[in-house]
Amino acid sequence: MDSDEEDLVFFGTPIEREEDLTSRKKKALAVASSQLRTLPSWKQEVTDEEGRRRFHGAFTGGFSAGFYNTVGSKEGWAPQSFTSSRKNRAEAKKQNVLDFLDDDEKDEMGGQILGTSSQFDTFGFTAAELARKQAEKEQKQRPSVIPGPVPDELVIPATESIGVKLLLKMGWRHGRSIKDSSINSHHEARREARKAFMALSSVDKTADGGGSEPYKNSSDALMEDLATDDVQSTGGTTPVYVRQPKQDLYGLGYDPYKHAPEFREMKRSRLSGNKEIDFRKPFSSRQELATAKSGKLASGFGIGALEEYGVEDEDIYSSGHDYVETYLPNDDDELSRLAIDDGQQAARVDQGAVPRFRIASKSEYQLQRFDPPIVPKDFAPQHKFPAPLETNNRTSDLPPPEVPPPVDNIHKVLIEGVAALVARCGKLFEDISREKNQSNPLFNFLNGGSGHDYYARKLWEAQQKCTNQIRMRPDEKLQSTVQKMTAESRGNILGERPLERTLKDSCSAAAAADDDIHVQSNLSDTFTKPEVFKELLETAKPYKDDPAKQARFEQFLKDKYQGGLRATDSGKATYMSEAARARERLDFEAAAEAIQKTKSANQSKLSGEQLSDFTMATGMQFTSGGVQLGNSTEELISKNMFPKREEFQWRPAPLLCKRFDIVDPFMGKPPPAPRMRGKLDSLIFAPDTAKITRTEDVNMSSDQSPTLWKSNGELSMDMSIKEAEVAVEVENVERPVDLYKAIFSDDSDGEEDNSVLHQMEDPHKKTEAASAAFSRIVAGDFLESLGKELGLEVPPDLPPATSKAGTLLPHEDVTQDFPSSAGLGGSAVCDSKNLNRVVDDRDRAQEVLLMTPSSQNVDNNTKLERVGRGDKKKKHELRSSSSEDERSRKRSRKHRRRHSSSDDDSSDDSRGRYSSRSRDDKKRSSRKKHRKRKHSRHK
Amino acid sequence: MSVEELPKQEANVLRGHEGAVLAARFNADGNYCLSCGKDRTIRLWNPHRGIHIKTYKSHGREVRDVHVTPDNSKIVSCGGDRQIFYWDVSTGRVIRKFRGHDSEVNAVKFNEYSSVVVSAGYDRSVRAWDCRSHNTEPIQIIDTFQDSVMSVCLTSSEIIAGSVDGTVRTFDIRIGRELSDDLGQAVNCISLSNDGNCILASCLDSTLRLLDRSSGELLQEYKGHVCKSYKLDCCLTSSDAYVAGGSEDGYIFFWDLVDASVASRFRAHASVVTSVSYHPKDNCMISASVDGTIRVWKT
Repeated sequence: MDSDEEDLVFFGTPIEREEDLTSRKKKALAVASSQLRTLPSWKQEVTDEEGRRRFHGAFTGGFSAGFYNTVGSKEGWAPQSFTSSRKNRAEAKKQNVLDFLDDDEKDEMGGQILGTSSQFDTFGFTAAELARKQAEKEQKQRPSVIPGPVPDELVIPATESIGVKLLLKMGWRHGRSIKDSSINSHHEARREARKAFMALSSVDKTADGGGSEPYKNSSDALMEDLATDDVQSTGGTTPVYVRQPKQDLYGLGYDPYKHAPEFREMKRSRLSGNKEIDFRKPFSSRQELATAKSGKLASGFGIGALEEYGVEDEDIYSSGHDYVETYLPNDDDELSRLAIDDGQQAARVDQGAVPRFRIASKSEYQLQRFDPPIVPKDFAPQHKFPAPLETNNRTSDLPPPEVPPPVDNIHKVLIEGVAALVARCGKLFEDISREKNQSNPLFNFLNGGSGHDYYARKLWEAQQKCTNQIRMRPDEKLQSTVQKMTAESRGNILGERPLERTLKDSCSAAAAADDDIHVQSNLSDTFTKPEVFKELLETAKPYKDDPAKQARFEQFLKDKYQGGLRATDSGKATYMSEAARARERLDFEAAAEAIQKTKSANQSKLSGEQLSDFTMATGMQFTSGGVQLGNSTEELISKNMFPKREEFQWRPAPLLCKRFDIVDPFMGKPPPAPRMRGKLDSLIFAPDTAKITRTEDVNMSSDQSPTLWKSNGELSMDMSIKEAEVAVEVENVERPVDLYKAIFSDDSDGEEDNSVLHQMEDPHKKTEAASAAFSRIVAGDFLESLGKELGLEVPPDLPPATSKAGTLLPHEDVTQDFPSSAGLGGSAVCDSKNLNRVVDDRDRAQEVLLMTPSSQNVDNNTKLERVGRGDKKKKHELRSSSSEDERSRKRSRKHRRRHSSSDDDSSDDSRGRYSSRSRDDKKRSSRKKHRKRKHSRHK
Repeated sequence: MSVEELPKQEANVLRGHEGAVLAARFNADGNYCLSCGKDRTIRLWNPHRGIHIKTYKSHGREVRDVHVTPDNSKIVSCGGDRQIFYWDVSTGRVIRKFRGHDSEVNAVKFNEYSSVVVSAGYDRSVRAWDCRSHNTEPIQIIDTFQDSVMSVCLTSSEIIAGSVDGTVRTFDIRIGRELSDDLGQAVNCISLSNDGNCILASCLDSTLRLLDRSSGELLQEYKGHVCKSYKLDCCLTSSDAYVAGGSEDGYIFFWDLVDASVASRFRAHASVVTSVSYHPKDNCMISASVDGTIRVWKT
């Protein structure tokens, strides 16, 4: 993920969404205000616009505060002086708001005052005003023909507006349209060039006598383009406003295309397309529509501006949907067309090429010609091809005439062998062998001696074979058996006619150029259909219903199996699109493969069904409607398999039941358990690395009471709720759903009821027994550690069975109390190993349980757990103290067993109670002990 | 009902949608019909007189399905904008929008009492929405599907939905049970027979399949049309004697329910027939197509 992110490169700046922005602003404001609000009022500061403190306390600024912040001079604020005497009366001063304002306040005010400066007098009003005043002034001095004030129209503003000034600086002159000038300056040269081209093309057109359509169109377009340029450039002065001349017969202000601008375009394009009067290039509005919309978007409506364009927005329906060109027929079209026609005609008549243009006497536009590159004198026009290519080329040579083989059989074999080798290895081999065997008369044929003709012929044949092999290489796997044969034997098998020599002989040297193709076609023609191929065709007709396609398929097979020139057949299906052809080819490929497969599998005859079966089996995507997909066997299979019905529990929401007016089937039941998913499974049963360290421990503890684990199902529970719950957990390890239910549910099953009942009977007993069990565990651990510390040796010859039996229950005395349990212990020994795994699982299940201890549990076991925890701590210390503790612990356990009789008096009375109980109870109690112990260990 | 009585004559053409019409549905009594399409509108028509009555605009993207309450007072619609719109018919205003689907919503239906809207979405979930309270959260989300849920049907106590994962799942509220019928082929559209005993499922292998609801067994398969890439509706005639369905080549097919023979086929539209809806009582059918028209067919 990280590396992915590093690889990403972002361009541009991300667009900040407005809502984000505003929210951020709001947040900033809120922070500021909250700060203000949180601060007590005496801690808040008032600052002026420069960020200085505005008011100071006595200790932080004192006197100077006023001067720094208000007046701004050291002298401080001086009041305005007022003097008035009898001689010099002070005028009644008109007071202004500004007199009472500070600088910054004035600035604030100043921002709101509007005024015009003559410099940016866009419309020249003030300038005109000034000019008029000036004129009036002058008029008084100067006698005038017209008495009275000068009319406004005669006074022209003396200044230009800023916009006009800018335009003038850019080269604009009065009375020119703005757009034209720039276009003219930019496209002057290009128009020149086009004009020259026009002249040329018009000549061509007349020569061609019509010419091709697109060509004509382009020239028309050019013509029109030129015309528009012309009109615009020679337009001279343009009026200030260009009004659209009214050309239709509609009422004033009526726009028939008000709500359908696309039709306006259509109309305009029609007009311009026909008459070239419009200043736009002719275009199809439909085309424009199509291009305007991004690709596959639906016509007329896309997605909202704020929504991103996804894959799913592609208009899957657009393929079949055609635009319906509806066109408003209006009469005025005709009228205007006629009117415009006349003018256009007149313009066209007077000039040959373009109205108001003459053909330049001296053309600046010249075609630049380049001389061909000079070949260096020492250049040798030679190119060496690699060997296979050479052989390829050589096949185009004329075949040497067939010559009877030499009489000498050895000689003949030699010649043939050499020819084959040379054909395969290239000309070089011939040269080498010639050099080597110069003195050998047998190799005279290499130097043009006896048998040379035969050698030439053989060489040619061998080369022919080689090239054929090269050509057929793609199909080699199909042809492999065929290719091993010689040319003659293959010819015999295939029913090949001998090549017509007369044809070859008559071939002139001039025809050699295209001989390559000829030879190939001749070759493929001379071959009759190979048997394999024939058989295929006869039996397999996968495209029966489409004869054309079948023909193509046959052609395909022919090509495939004969290795002819592929390119020739493509011409036959020219009406197909490239994509369709490719798809069909894949189709054929698949079909052929299927045929081949069936052939190799069983030599039996193919049926069309089988064929289609194979295409199905190979999972071909490209099988189009041609191949029959409907297969009876397939159907049967699918019918047998589907529909499959499965049933699950599903819990409708109570509100849903209510809304459907149905009684909730799960009313009063515990909340729904999550359906088991793979994740949950792995969560519970995933191997934990941490656990591996404990496995030994687990095994050991499991050793202590495998019987009890095993006989779990038969037993009824009475010891404690905890035990009952653990048992439930253990039972349901395979079904986490129930597990969860058991953990979270508040209502109880039969087992739990049972346990509760028993608990009612002897809660006291139970706690006592539990405490006894734990004290025993503590004692055991203590012994274990003690034994370890003392390093007491245990005789190694102690059989493992007995040792296990010993460790099975913490105290020998217990087993003595219940003679019948000895047998159980024995069976447990047998099973203990097998059970280890189970115990492991249970152990985990218990862990799950421990994560969510029920309240009852906690109540009952707080004390015990505390003890257990201490015990565990001890164990941990032990474990960490020595790395090779496993063996020593075993020893210590064995040792403990010896000592147990002396140590178990602490739990005597509890044992007494055990003895009074049934056997089952006993078992359970010890199991419980074991569990408790485990509990504490893994806590 | 004989073959002659099948609605094959074009009675009216309802034009107005720009672009593909994705669904057309009769109302409960068959006097009106609703259509929705790519132009993001829902339109209310009187198909018998061929009149366009009202247009409902508010959807941000194409509208894929629409359903009207039996009392004709409310409309529910869904589409590409991931929302479900709950409309008032007369004012044309959106009363509520249910948001929560993670992607496009394919189908939507009212329950019997018009109190719950059940929607099926591309996000592989079926959601139930409460129309009575103002709770923005769905009442329930059913997400046991493996793929896009294309179609949903409701009975008085069940939610039935068909999905591209090839299953038709029936959620029985009364029993609290989910029945999953795996057809092995992507299910495009499901339709309930009028007697409520069968489900007609349109699969993407150009087959309509008729399932017995109680046993889950396949009763019949109807073939001949083309349905490979579009969501095409199917329905049963009001008498349950014939199965009707559109085809991607613009044809409408009628099959005999029992022997699965093509009773009638005729070219109805210039392009893919996306939706067919049969009149609840009469021999009348409407079909919608990608060519932008809705056609009313009568005998």
